[in-house]
Amino acid sequence: MPEKLSPFHIAVLVYMTQSGIVIFTLPRSLADYFGTNGWLVLIPCLLLSSFNIYLITLVFRLGKGRSIFEIMEQSVSKAILYPFYLGLTAVWLVFGCMIGKKYVLLFQMLAFPTTNPMLFKLAIDVLAFMMLIKGIYRMSNAVTLFFWMTIWMFGLLLWFFPSFRWARFTPFLLHGGHDQVKGAVEVYAAYLGYELSILLFPYMNKSKSKKSMAAIYAANAFLSFVYICLSLICFGFFGPGQLKKLLYPVLDLLAYIQLPFIERLENLLYGFFLFLVLVTVVMYWWAAQLSIQRIIPKVKTPVLLVFLLGSSYCVSFIPKTLDEVNVWITNLGYAVTGIAFGLPMLLIMILLIQRKGGISHA
Amino acid sequence: MLKLRLIPVLLLLLLTGCKSDERILEKLGMVQTASYDLLDNKRLKVTYCVPVTDPTSKVRRELMTTVSDSLKSARLQFSLQTDLKVVSGQVRETLYGTKLAKEGLGDYIDTLLRDPSIALGVRVTVVEGDAGDLLSKTFKSHNDTGRYITHLLDKESYGNSVPATTLYEFSRDFNDDGIDPVAPIVKDGGDKVVIEGVAMFQEDRYVMRIPAEDGIIFALFRDDLRQGEVAINLGDKDGRPVVIMLSSLLNKRKIKVHQLGDGRFKVDIFASLQGSVLEYTGEEKINESKARHELEQKISEYITAKADLMVEQMQEHNVDSLGIGTYVRNGLNYKEWTSLNWREVYPEIEVKCHTKVVIKDYGKYS
Repeated sequence: MPEKLSPFHIAVLVYMTQSGIVIFTLPRSLADYFGTNGWLVLIPCLLLSSFNIYLITLVFRLGKGRSIFEIMEQSVSKAILYPFYLGLTAVWLVFGCMIGKKYVLLFQMLAFPTTNPMLFKLAIDVLAFMMLIKGIYRMSNAVTLFFWMTIWMFGLLLWFFPSFRWARFTPFLLHGGHDQVKGAVEVYAAYLGYELSILLFPYMNKSKSKKSMAAIYAANAFLSFVYICLSLICFGFFGPGQLKKLLYPVLDLLAYIQLPFIERLENLLYGFFLFLVLVTVVMYWWAAQLSIQRIIPKVKTPVLLVFLLGSSYCVSFIPKTLDEVNVWITNLGYAVTGIAFGLPMLLIMILLIQRKGGISHA
Repeated sequence: MLKLRLIPVLLLLLLTGCKSDERILEKLGMVQTASYDLLDNKRLKVTYCVPVTDPTSKVRRELMTTVSDSLKSARLQFSLQTDLKVVSGQVRETLYGTKLAKEGLGDYIDTLLRDPSIALGVRVTVVEGDAGDLLSKTFKSHNDTGRYITHLLDKESYGNSVPATTLYEFSRDFNDDGIDPVAPIVKDGGDKVVIEGVAMFQEDRYVMRIPAEDGIIFALFRDDLRQGEVAINLGDKDGRPVVIMLSSLLNKRKIKVHQLGDGRFKVDIFASLQGSVLEYTGEEKINESKARHELEQKISEYITAKADLMVEQMQEHNVDSLGIGTYVRNGLNYKEWTSLNWREVYPEIEVKCHTKVVIKDYGKYS
């Protein structure tokens, strides 16, 4: 019997999947789209994502912890399901791939500006491949290690306290922004990643199912706490005016840290963010792998992964600039958000029909 | 397993792809100080100071000067003058000549912030006169003028006699509404570089300055302090000036805004400071509490008078270096604030400074 994920591992896995490249731009998006005190938008985002997690827990409860693929395959014909699986695979695969590419392009802006970014991308993809072939349980162990390797950076926020002023916040609520709907989707994308927990059902410890579900809520709440702290610091440190001008405020925050014996710390610190990005990428690719495996179950996992990662690598050649990658991420973000809400709702519907029809799944 | 072992080798091979971005320390000209001046023909005079790390070399720095149309095109021209690759990752100080500062620093700060290799901690300093000339000059016992200025300002800003202005502070105050940036101003004092005072900007244009000796009083009303020294002349006694020197200053600053209606405001700024008396040349016995309280009163009157005068000058020049606008803004709703033209209102508002002084101790001698 395969080993099961403990609630703590689930929490870490979900949190690490959620936090990623978006952290660099989040405070700017909040200031730019929502204006003064845009950080407040994070609170409805937390509530909405918690509601989405509630839908996921309903799926778990109604489906009695069965895999979502089993639930769907029980009631829906394969002719409909296979294109659906293919769609899921494509969205998750390319979304993960673009997140990786954005990290590479940002890294390149800071260091190695003339090196071919696809070389770095290849290196990250190789790392991702090595994690993916180990399976979810061993991946979660590595992710926990990455969690401890990166969480200390949260303490760096203390560095900015001496220059932090409440007066910079302004008493105005959400004034001076623009395109709030687009902004809301972009900001909400910062929370994405929790929806992949719907794929973790078969790996959860059934005797600790309540705790496992609570772990997903906890991860989401912890992520919100991190985001809110970071955004508060940015609004009080930069003020909304400057925040709108800085494309990557968190990079500027990192660059502001100076130690007596080392200057320009941000290149070093930026390296640590690789772990966060890698986990996000790996988890989306893992999700893509799971859904394609339902179509071609007989192909060996490493072979399948080489095929998946190879094709995503080819796709990542298409967008060349940061702006193009951002457009891809925004558009795919819409699709991923749609899946995050749509998939659990669809499953709940199927489960309710199954219950009504009295289909036994004991 | 063999396949897995091949992966680290593959990763190592990938590193060879970074060859084009190779940086060899000995081949780099790491600019430490840069100065910018505006010439009469509206072109820029840019001077870079690169420390020479070669221990066998007699000179400690390499100076490069060029005239160009932009900051970055100057760097390209410098490349033609030196065998080193000029990089700006280690810039600590940027000096701006008065003429350029009066025209506005916005575009230049923008260029510096855009460059990912330049951090927000780079200093912004105004030079009275020509910044390039000051940077090119060699001062006795200081091999590198740029570093000398950086250390001088570092030390003084620690005691809050001049504001430590970095790109971060400048651009933050420039982009925020209700506050204007400030920067230290230095000048060539013959055989020394001298801090001249605090340059005050309207938006990004250098408009006025206050002398260095009033820098600490400005600091008391701009922000809370945890360090500082101030010497106060309490008048003459038998033809001899009476001086009291307060050290280890702790200051709490508060701003209260009263709305008087019709877009009129009354603003009270409170500075509450305490410090140790390390020098007193008057005749009162400072170990007696009554005399000490009288002294506290005199000091606060002196500081208040100076501060009131300073605010008056700032209002005359329409620079809100104390950030009064931020507090006015925070007392209004969004519509009121956006319909208020702060630049028009600011010179007319009634500002009153208040100072409360507490002598914490008077050293170890009565």
